[in-house]
Amino acid sequence: MTPVRLFGYTDRISVKPGETIQFHVSAEGTDTAEAQLVRLVHGDQNPAGPGFIEEEVACTANGRWRVEPQFTQVGSFLEVDDPEGRLAFANSFTLFAFIHPTWPASGERQTIIGRWDGDRKQGYGIGIDEKGHLQFWIGRGEEIERLTANVPLQVQMWYFVAATFDAETRRATLHQVGVGNRYNGLLGKVALVDYESRKSAIFRSKPGNLASTPFIMAGSRSRDAQQRACVSELYWGKIDRCGTFDQALQPAELDTIRSGLVPAMDSLVAYWDTSAGYTDRGIGDLVVDVGRHKLNARGYNRPVRGQTGWNWEGFTDCFRLAPQEFGGIEFHADALTDCNWKATKAVALPHGLKSGCYAMRLRSGRGKSPSEEHVVFFVRPGRPRARIAFLFPTLTYLAFANERLSFDHPEREALTGQSAVLSDIDIEMYMRDDFGLSTYDMHADGNGVCYSSYHRPVMNMRPRYRMPSLDVASGLAADLSIIAWLDQSGFEYEVLTDEDLHRDGSEALSPYACVISGSRPEYYTERMLDATEDYIAGGGRYIYAGGNGFNATAGIRDGEPWIMECRRRDDGYKPWVSRYGEHYMATDGMRGGPWKVLGRATQKLVGIGLSSSGAGRSEPYRRMPDSYHRTVSWITKGVDGEIIGDAGLANDGAAGLALDYYDRALGTPPHTKIVTSSGGHTDSYVVNQQLVLYSYLGLYGSYDWRVHADMTYFTAPHGGAVFACGSVAFAQSLPINNFRNGASRVLANVVEAFAGAGRLPGFAWVNEEKQWA
Amino acid sequence: MLPLEYGRSEDRDIIVRDRFDGFRREFLRTLVNPEVIEEHRQSALGQHSERLERLLIYFRQRPLEQRYAVRAIEPFRRYQVVRLSGRRGVPPRLVDDAIYTSANDARHGLFLRCIRDLLET
Repeated sequence: MTPVRLFGYTDRISVKPGETIQFHVSAEGTDTAEAQLVRLVHGDQNPAGPGFIEEEVACTANGRWRVEPQFTQVGSFLEVDDPEGRLAFANSFTLFAFIHPTWPASGERQTIIGRWDGDRKQGYGIGIDEKGHLQFWIGRGEEIERLTANVPLQVQMWYFVAATFDAETRRATLHQVGVGNRYNGLLGKVALVDYESRKSAIFRSKPGNLASTPFIMAGSRSRDAQQRACVSELYWGKIDRCGTFDQALQPAELDTIRSGLVPAMDSLVAYWDTSAGYTDRGIGDLVVDVGRHKLNARGYNRPVRGQTGWNWEGFTDCFRLAPQEFGGIEFHADALTDCNWKATKAVALPHGLKSGCYAMRLRSGRGKSPSEEHVVFFVRPGRPRARIAFLFPTLTYLAFANERLSFDHPEREALTGQSAVLSDIDIEMYMRDDFGLSTYDMHADGNGVCYSSYHRPVMNMRPRYRMPSLDVASGLAADLSIIAWLDQSGFEYEVLTDEDLHRDGSEALSPYACVISGSRPEYYTERMLDATEDYIAGGGRYIYAGGNGFNATAGIRDGEPWIMECRRRDDGYKPWVSRYGEHYMATDGMRGGPWKVLGRATQKLVGIGLSSSGAGRSEPYRRMPDSYHRTVSWITKGVDGEIIGDAGLANDGAAGLALDYYDRALGTPPHTKIVTSSGGHTDSYVVNQQLVLYSYLGLYGSYDWRVHADMTYFTAPHGGAVFACGSVAFAQSLPINNFRNGASRVLANVVEAFAGAGRLPGFAWVNEEKQWA
Repeated sequence: MLPLEYGRSEDRDIIVRDRFDGFRREFLRTLVNPEVIEEHRQSALGQHSERLERLLIYFRQRPLEQRYAVRAIEPFRRYQVVRLSGRRGVPPRLVDDAIYTSANDARHGLFLRCIRDLLET
């Protein structure tokens, strides 16, 4: 019997009360599920805290839902819009493409371009066989005729490839010529490798042409076990300019194309100029046919565009500067940006719904452990009313969505200093290939994943989830500790998401006197960063309730907020690195990597920025001399003793996981006060790579003073202010002792002051050394 | 980066790495004593002596398919030690039937396995 499994996602993650939200659910082993709307209050199961808390909420959609298994098309490819079947060649033809395979010897067949139906054995294609050799094939339904190159394709090298078929003579040719230069591939001129192959054969028949077969780049038509049309024989690698002729070109004509020119011949049926249509602010998913038939191709699962092309000379490092050298489109057979499941249910949310984090809880099955799924979304207010907003860092959730670092990344355990603790859902996710990867993972061809999406089940954006490499509640499950704290404190608040901040800019924040961040608000688009800076500079009061914030660039395309882009540069922490020339986001043209390198260190925005990170034992904060200064002594009012945060759900301390510190050299505002500071971190904590010029022995907790967290405060223009907690683990210290602890007291003092209508406490005092309490 | 499952039969670097690994293991075996094992038992995730840290750094750097992990059967209650496959799509396999009642106990069980592998091979 198939075990019962339920998985789901929503069309949007930020909605208002009364709006309709669509749920997409896939079920295995059952055709019904019990649905119950719940508000998520606390997400960390650690018995040292209140545990998992959800509240059931009345909703017309509660009850039994019919569910079914849904098909997921994994892999990125381009499908050509060819309604008149111009690419259904009945007679002679030529195919050509510039290609850069990233996994030629994958053991699986790959189609580069073609109009091929593998199940029906009809059509034609040019691709790569199981052993990594270029191949041209045709079929009429019974047998497949193949012509295979006599030297294998080299990984990460550019080639010009072409196939011709003369219908009269039935002569087929296959051409493979290396077009590597000093910059564009893995190997240099000195490598003694044979890149060239030219073969020909006489085929017995002509290709068949089914009307239903699409012309596809990086894959070909197939059917799944239920006979549903899908795309398989997916290609790993880059394709640059490619096209077709309805005649068999001669070698000299192919040489002309290889030189970068495309003959203006009547027989040219399609020429996809992969570098056409670029703008400084991004590249879309449509690949343009600049030939006369306009047979444009549309990307599925977002092929990666703006990549270095076959003719890249290495002088420019960005597609904006020389688009014609950046025609590479990269494909991966394990890419996924949208499950494209049918909507299971459209739910009209209750009008009076309190702003917060919600989930549709789905349950099915019997026995001790029925299958349960929480499909999470966020409800922002219909009209802002509260003085406090909590901003869920959903972009960071997306960056980490379904990460599998503990299974695949050889350096992860060395980085965290501890063995992974895997849950059953982690293991299940590792075994499945249909829920996609995170921007922390690598595709199976070794290249980094630069797109992540919430149009798929995101199993680590769930309550109770623990990140295996750290063995702590992480992301949403950790941020709910702040929600539970707000609930028990009695503060009236509303919630927003990064999606709202990106879309609405500072207007998303301006209705609120006080905005509280999540525990790791790491990924920020330029618009989000600008909005936060403008909010604070305009008199907003901001609580940076975490660490490692505002650190990494990210891109979101307007109108498609479910997909985020992340490129990684050679400066800063990174699970992988973009190849040179591929650091710029196709989404919006921004340079990827840390914001610090772009002149926007976190310290400039909120006073502190990433000093170090690690795992294992967390540490408490100690009050620093500034905490006794009259301008800020109100922050620690009611706290007993010098120690703050000596317990927590994340490794027993408020300072842990990622630590931020005050650094004037990186832009900490001049009058910032250090209220408390942590110390005594173990050698599992290592200084942030961005802060050092060399690697050397001793950049660890017990050796380097920079390994610590600072809790800071500064006032900003127009009555604004920023309080920064300094550590990712801080939020998880709040629930200790039923929320009665020093960290909780400090945060309450600040929230109360920030949300208040009047001037901030301490305003009457000046920043002079003698103003001690 | 090369494909995650790229055939490395032509990669001569493996010989150099194995040679280094052999020397390293020979030295690391001299570091194993009852005190270092007790230190780990008492503090699997704390600040460690150089002797223990050297052993742990080695274990964390093993090829993925030779590494262990902890499986939480029931978080905060029941744990087991598993061995990673190093191959995407292939689940970790259970190494024995031992059940641990805390993650730290399981980490120590995992550590003892690593020590045994070091001493026996």
